[in-house]
Amino acid sequence: MSLRSDFTAFLNGNGELFSFSLRFFRHGLNPPFEFAEFIKQCYVIGYKSLPLIGLTAFIMGIVLTMQLRPSMADYGVESQLPAIVAIAVVREVGPVITALIFAGKIGSSIGAELGSMKVTEQIDAMEVSGTNPFKYLVVTRVLACTLMLPVLVMLGDAISLYGAYLGVNIHTNTSFNLFWTQVFDNLVFGDVLPAFIKSFFFGFAVGIIGCYKGYNSSRGTEGVGLSANSAVVVSSVMIFIIDLLAVQVTNIFDY
Amino acid sequence: MAKRLVNNVRLGAFVMAGLLFLVLLLYMIGRNRSLFGSNYILKARFENVQGLVPGNNVRYSGIQSGTVKTIEIVNDTSIEVSMLIDTKMEDIIRKDAIVSIGSDGLVGNKVVNIIPGEIHDDLAKEGDVLVSKNPIDTESILKTLSKTNNDVAEIVSGLKVTVERINNSTALWSILSEESLPEDLRQSAANIRKATSRAGLMADDLHVIVSDLKSGKGSAGILLRDTSFANNLNQAVLKMRQLSTNADKLSLQMTTLISGIQNDLNSGKGAASTILKDTSVVNKLNTSLDNIQRGTDGFNQNMEALKKSFLLRGYFKRQEKKRASSNP
Amino acid sequence: MTSDKQVLNSSLDKVMLINNLCKSFGDRHILINFNLELIRGESVVVLGKSGSGKSVLIKCVIGLLRPDKGSIKIFGKNIPDLNHDELDQVRAKIGFLFQSNALYDSMTVRENLEFPLRRHWIEVSQEEVDKMVEDALEDVGLRHTIDMMPVELSGGMRKRVALARTLILKPEIILYDEPTTGLDTITSKEIIELMIEIQEKYNTSSLIISHDMNCVRMASDRVVMLMDGRCYANDTYENLIKSEDPKIKMFFE
Repeated sequence: MSLRSDFTAFLNGNGELFSFSLRFFRHGLNPPFEFAEFIKQCYVIGYKSLPLIGLTAFIMGIVLTMQLRPSMADYGVESQLPAIVAIAVVREVGPVITALIFAGKIGSSIGAELGSMKVTEQIDAMEVSGTNPFKYLVVTRVLACTLMLPVLVMLGDAISLYGAYLGVNIHTNTSFNLFWTQVFDNLVFGDVLPAFIKSFFFGFAVGIIGCYKGYNSSRGTEGVGLSANSAVVVSSVMIFIIDLLAVQVTNIFDY
Repeated sequence: MAKRLVNNVRLGAFVMAGLLFLVLLLYMIGRNRSLFGSNYILKARFENVQGLVPGNNVRYSGIQSGTVKTIEIVNDTSIEVSMLIDTKMEDIIRKDAIVSIGSDGLVGNKVVNIIPGEIHDDLAKEGDVLVSKNPIDTESILKTLSKTNNDVAEIVSGLKVTVERINNSTALWSILSEESLPEDLRQSAANIRKATSRAGLMADDLHVIVSDLKSGKGSAGILLRDTSFANNLNQAVLKMRQLSTNADKLSLQMTTLISGIQNDLNSGKGAASTILKDTSVVNKLNTSLDNIQRGTDGFNQNMEALKKSFLLRGYFKRQEKKRASSNP
Repeated sequence: MTSDKQVLNSSLDKVMLINNLCKSFGDRHILINFNLELIRGESVVVLGKSGSGKSVLIKCVIGLLRPDKGSIKIFGKNIPDLNHDELDQVRAKIGFLFQSNALYDSMTVRENLEFPLRRHWIEVSQEEVDKMVEDALEDVGLRHTIDMMPVELSGGMRKRVALARTLILKPEIILYDEPTTGLDTITSKEIIELMIEIQEKYNTSSLIISHDMNCVRMASDRVVMLMDGRCYANDTYENLIKSEDPKIKMFFE
């Protein structure tokens, strides 16, 4: 019985999230556009996340290189290390790790911010002040997430690859030029473009789930914490689901 | 307000940096895939393309010069590969260039290699079909390997027979296992050395005498007028000739001895090799041989000088007659 | 004074008229055929227990909640029938003081005050905006907090800033949602005095939701008692306090 009601609640949540997304498109595509707020959110969501994303990406690049080296050496293809790391970073590790960190930082902050705005009636106050809070709060944030995450992913990839370059140089002496030649020689459009496109979806998922959880936060400070928490959990799971779908789709297109 | 402006500038820089990297990435990939820049198409036909795929690199004498564009099956036995070649190669690749398929390392991607042909044909133009060399695939490598294996087996069995024969030959073994042989050899080598050093000294002395003779003045000139001395000298020279023939024989014997040692060395077993392992002996032998060489050289010189001195003797005699007739 | 006003304005200047308002959430009937009228310059307190539907009423009035039935006429326009733009026009003339102040945490006091101004009158120049912000803060005596963040302010100061924000548009009606909740007696008294002062200065009408008897005594021209979703009593404070009805007496003890 409880299982059934849980399942019903799950489906209900899905349905609400879906209609929330539809609402985003309905409001987002109609003027007026909150351009100034959008730029501000881009700054907060994109630029301010760069140090964190950069650090994790850098460490990821080094660690991945060091972890792969022994196996590569066993197969006698240590010289292919830059190529394999580049493919791993650009195709999968870069977008997913960046998106997860992004979900942790931005998803929770959006969930908490909108949650507390909801609880302290700030959202109502906006509505009363002649502002469409959905446009002002949700559309700007979701759009900022959707557009900023791909940028962060690209920068994260670049930093990761630089980390990989240092990682390669711990044991062998590879010149900067050789490293990048090997990286670019082994990448194809099919590595870069699907990863770039799926990062838009990751960004959208983080933004819309954070906003949904915050916007529908129940009353009280406990509700705020809960919405921040579930925003991170749900958007992290969502990232993996989207990743799974993305790999299927890219395989269909034979990349 | 100023802060907001700064923030916008930062945001702009941030977005630009991200997009710049994306564009760079796409451009570099595109450049590697020959999507930018001008190029032209060359073709080649193969029976088997070994898993070559569009996008694989094309190299001319090992230089990256294009990529594979398409691979089409023409009929059941031939496959046409179209290659996008950089325009800068237009002045280099000729019609007789040979195209083959290889791989980048043992497990790497397939590559198309173009090698310049023997004759200097016209330059290849857009759409030309180049001569192709069918690739050596692993199967044929394995076939060759198995043939090689059979040959090796035959050789090994032949070798086995030879070794058995050597093992059975008692004469060879008795020589090789003779304990005193190395000592005798060492002794004879020392003797040779002594003899040659003496010959060397003697040759030096002779050289001095001859040079004195050449100068033709002083005590040597006086001595040469003495006929009895000339006779003695004649005899000495005869003896010298004898000595030189003896030395010749000796060196011949040495050569045979050395070649014998050489054989021992090659067979690698027994007493002979123990001597040769002793580097000092080898060194001594070397110096001895050098000395002999020098000695024989000296002999040659001396002989030349002596021939001349026989002529000189006639000359001196005529001089003597002249003097006798002028002095009544 | 109150009776004079009522006679003077009689029916001609009713700024708000609520008729047969019904609102329910699922099975819970919050408002049942509720009626209320507000005359220009008048101050009405809606009194009721917690959970009696006072907040629901005020949110229906401002258009945040949509009633199931009935009409809410403000300046002659029925709120539930208005489209978004028309609603915004009406809202520009109504100030709303939220129970939790609803100051935007991410903005300074100045930005908080500018926000409704910029939203409703986009063509105002920066100098005018600055002047209006400063004037509104002057009215609540908090000029010096202009560049502070809401978290740096005390509860009473926040309430004043929130009041300044509702004042900045020079509203004709101000809706107060529990204006004294969470404040100590002295501060709440100051706030009530400020409310009265503002009402006299700008000649606004007020609809005050409260269960604080001080507030009722000091600020009300008329008291409406909300009980079980219905209008139970509608009279002046002086008359109600003399009432023998046990349900009314319950509040005034």
